[in-house]
Amino acid sequence: MEDYEQYLNDNADDYERRAAAQVLEGLAGLRLEAKLREVAAEQAAQHRRTIWRRLLFTLAALAFLAAVAYWFFSKNVSTPSVPPIEKQAPSSPSPSKKQTPEQYKLEKPREKPPIAQIKPQEEVPVPPDPIFPTFALQDEVIPEPLHAAPDLVAMRGQGEANAALKALLDRFWYVNYPPFGLKIDATYDSADQLLKKRDFSAAYLALEQIEQMQADSLSLRIARENQKLLEKDPTASPVAASPLANDTLLYLKAYCLLEMGEGQEAIFYFSRMRFPDPAWIPQLTWYRALALLQADKRSEALALFNTIAVNSVHPYRRQARKALKLLQ
Amino acid sequence: MRITEWLTPSNPCRQFENNEQLFQALKSLNNSAIRCVQNKAMPSAKKLVEQYKLAPESVDELLNQSSLIFLRKIEDGSYQFQGHAPSSYLVEIMKRVALSMTRKRQTTYESIEDHHDLHDPDIEASNRQRESAELVRQFLGQMGEPCESVIRLHHIEGYPDDEVVRQGWTRYTTTDSLKIKRSDCMKKLIQIARQWKITNNI
Repeated sequence: MEDYEQYLNDNADDYERRAAAQVLEGLAGLRLEAKLREVAAEQAAQHRRTIWRRLLFTLAALAFLAAVAYWFFSKNVSTPSVPPIEKQAPSSPSPSKKQTPEQYKLEKPREKPPIAQIKPQEEVPVPPDPIFPTFALQDEVIPEPLHAAPDLVAMRGQGEANAALKALLDRFWYVNYPPFGLKIDATYDSADQLLKKRDFSAAYLALEQIEQMQADSLSLRIARENQKLLEKDPTASPVAASPLANDTLLYLKAYCLLEMGEGQEAIFYFSRMRFPDPAWIPQLTWYRALALLQADKRSEALALFNTIAVNSVHPYRRQARKALKLLQ
Repeated sequence: MRITEWLTPSNPCRQFENNEQLFQALKSLNNSAIRCVQNKAMPSAKKLVEQYKLAPESVDELLNQSSLIFLRKIEDGSYQFQGHAPSSYLVEIMKRVALSMTRKRQTTYESIEDHHDLHDPDIEASNRQRESAELVRQFLGQMGEPCESVIRLHHIEGYPDDEVVRQGWTRYTTTDSLKIKRSDCMKKLIQIARQWKITNNI
């Protein structure tokens, strides 16, 4: 008991006791009010904390979603380095009706006319860009190539020109395997596997072996036919073994050489192709231009890049424009 | 901690295993216990405000005023624990407070005499306590330091004397000197209240 309580019990008059009762009642009221204010402040603080946590969580979730979306879309944009088939290549016959990009991919040519017989096509309405559809409205913005150009310094030795050419080619080395529209049968399995691993030297050796086997088999067949022919008519002239005309093999070898930095050799094989599938033509033209550049035939390469660049339906037109811009 | 727990306000009732524990905590004015009963009574407060067509912002006032009455009744022993949830008693008090709030609103255009028979003793006691609290606040202001702090720290904020001395919140360095000073101050406060009563003939 405090001193004032003792005083109230002993000496206080009635007024003092009533006053003390009112004071104590007031103090109790103030204590309860203070307590409720404290509780309300705690409640408000917790409410604020919860709101901040929810806000933080929402922001974190949004950031995560944005990151996932960015990753997803950036992956989708950079993946398609393989150009889809384009039937209306500059030198291929023009289609009779407007084609959708899906039809471009799926339709196969009905026949394989020689290149010389292919007539220039009429200008057709520009379809959506099949290679970089996401960049349809940003004309010159295309992703960087997925692969680097072959090491010309290693192939041709040290030299500023080689290093510069390699650096330049790196910027527009848009190549892919398997080449578009090329059907690779079981004969080329070993080479196909090596090409997928980008082991071009080993792939080239494998292709050489396949070529040799095919040549041997052809020679044997011709020798048997000649023997039969001579048996029937000893005066008949024997048939000579004609050079092998396997465009798939030639294309693969040319592609291999291109990736090995042997532009001149690649051009040789490209030119030996006799009846290339029209579906191959746009990509072949692009590869030929790259090979010409590797072979230091700059003016011919520029001409070819220019042809591709001005063709509004060529799947490599943007790459060609980029190449021309870099070569200027 | 699970993310859902992190994102929702913590439940203050979790620490009380049963209603008796909650009641004991309310007796000692435990903050979590007060929050617990208030949280439980909040939906009813909202319903009552809607039902009696009170202003939506009256929810806090209703809850606060009812909590004051509820805590006072626990403190003076007029509410005893009988196994029921303390929050249900708070809701009962809220109903009466909400009714008195509607009466207060009606007095603006009806005579007070029409409702004199509806007066609630708990609410009247609460109003009386509020008036006393206001008077004491004024008297403390008149007394000034150090009496105001000495009384406030002990009787209003409820700090123990050794804590007040340890923290150095007043100039008194021992609990004895603090107690003596507080007793003096209380006598002064009672004298001021007495004088006020005499002056106002109450």
